[in-house]
Amino acid sequence: MSAYPEVKTVEAFKRQPEEYQTAVKKVVRSHALNELYGAQVFDEPAIALAPTPYAKWLTCRVAMEEYHHHVRFKTLADEIGVKPEEMSTANKRPLNIFEFPMKSWEEFCVIKMLGDLAEILQVEDLLHCSFVPLRNLARTTMPEEKFHAQFGKDFCTELVKTPGSRMKVQDMVNRFYPEVPLFFGATGSHNNELYRKYSIKQRKNEEMRADYLNRAKLVLDSLGLQAPEIAAAA
Amino acid sequence: MVDLHAAWFSALGTVLGEGEIADISTYLKGLGLRASLPLLTVESWDEAAGIVSKPADSWWSAEEAERARLEKDVRFDPADRDWLALTDTLHGAAAVAAARSGCADQGLIRAAAGAAIYAAYQYRLAQATRAGDDHPFVRKYALFSGGRWPLGLYGDLFAIF
Repeated sequence: MSAYPEVKTVEAFKRQPEEYQTAVKKVVRSHALNELYGAQVFDEPAIALAPTPYAKWLTCRVAMEEYHHHVRFKTLADEIGVKPEEMSTANKRPLNIFEFPMKSWEEFCVIKMLGDLAEILQVEDLLHCSFVPLRNLARTTMPEEKFHAQFGKDFCTELVKTPGSRMKVQDMVNRFYPEVPLFFGATGSHNNELYRKYSIKQRKNEEMRADYLNRAKLVLDSLGLQAPEIAAAA
Repeated sequence: MVDLHAAWFSALGTVLGEGEIADISTYLKGLGLRASLPLLTVESWDEAAGIVSKPADSWWSAEEAERARLEKDVRFDPADRDWLALTDTLHGAAAVAAARSGCADQGLIRAAAGAAIYAAYQYRLAQATRAGDDHPFVRKYALFSGGRWPLGLYGDLFAIF
């Protein structure tokens, strides 16, 4: 049960305190842009890297699902009054993980396995959001996010069966995994405090980060991969 | 925009008609491949899964070269709402066709949808550049919209479901 009362419609949203509205807008904007960056810099380019028609076509569909997630969040952003200039990727530097220079199929599979797991945690944290349209959007998005992470794990499972590919996957894990914890934001974040005050999100950044590291390690262990040490998780 | 009321994935595994064989021939010739290649008519989702999990680089490269050529003149927004609605329709059609045959493989269903999405995108490019009815992407789209899933060229065989 949310501590903050449910806000069931966009009309009701517009009657909420300015601070609540601003906080929700930040969350919606962040998801909309992350989905767009992910589709543009990882999913769509990965079609060319995929080794077979099956992998290429599957990646094509996954890319369209990511674009669709972007459009769903952007539509909500438009409805709640996020300014168009705030929704442009030209005006907002991407999160660190979207600046990773992906060059191979193995790298893409690790990004889906570990990066989309991080996205799952972010979406999970909205499943009981006080703003019901955002909650519903998270619930709609979640099954596809889970499929995308599983897609990454399934292909990684195949790749690690051969020594050469296993080395490439482990190398990518070594380089990508340490970047992901930053995706959850700073420890003691003021924004996160507001999100929890208004029951927009449920958990502290550091709690989500710790959960992610545990869940990611389970995934890596299941494939016999090593999780590199993360020196400064916050 | 492409036709939402086409017979997507409705003729999978059935015997090829003369018109479809002619479409395949025109498609292959248009990509600079041999028009009279032997055809493999795939009969099940399992068989299709096995085939498309093999590399098909020369055929894929031929398509990509043509796509790149057409994209010099026109580009589309992948996040266009009408386009995304079509991609969902194609996914739904693939899921229904798979379910009718007892296939519940979410990856394979998505791959089928992705193949149709790719074909629809190629068709849009061909239409926008007024490439003509014999353009390989137009003939490939005709096969898809008539209920087929062209799987591609593997060795010396052109496979179609």
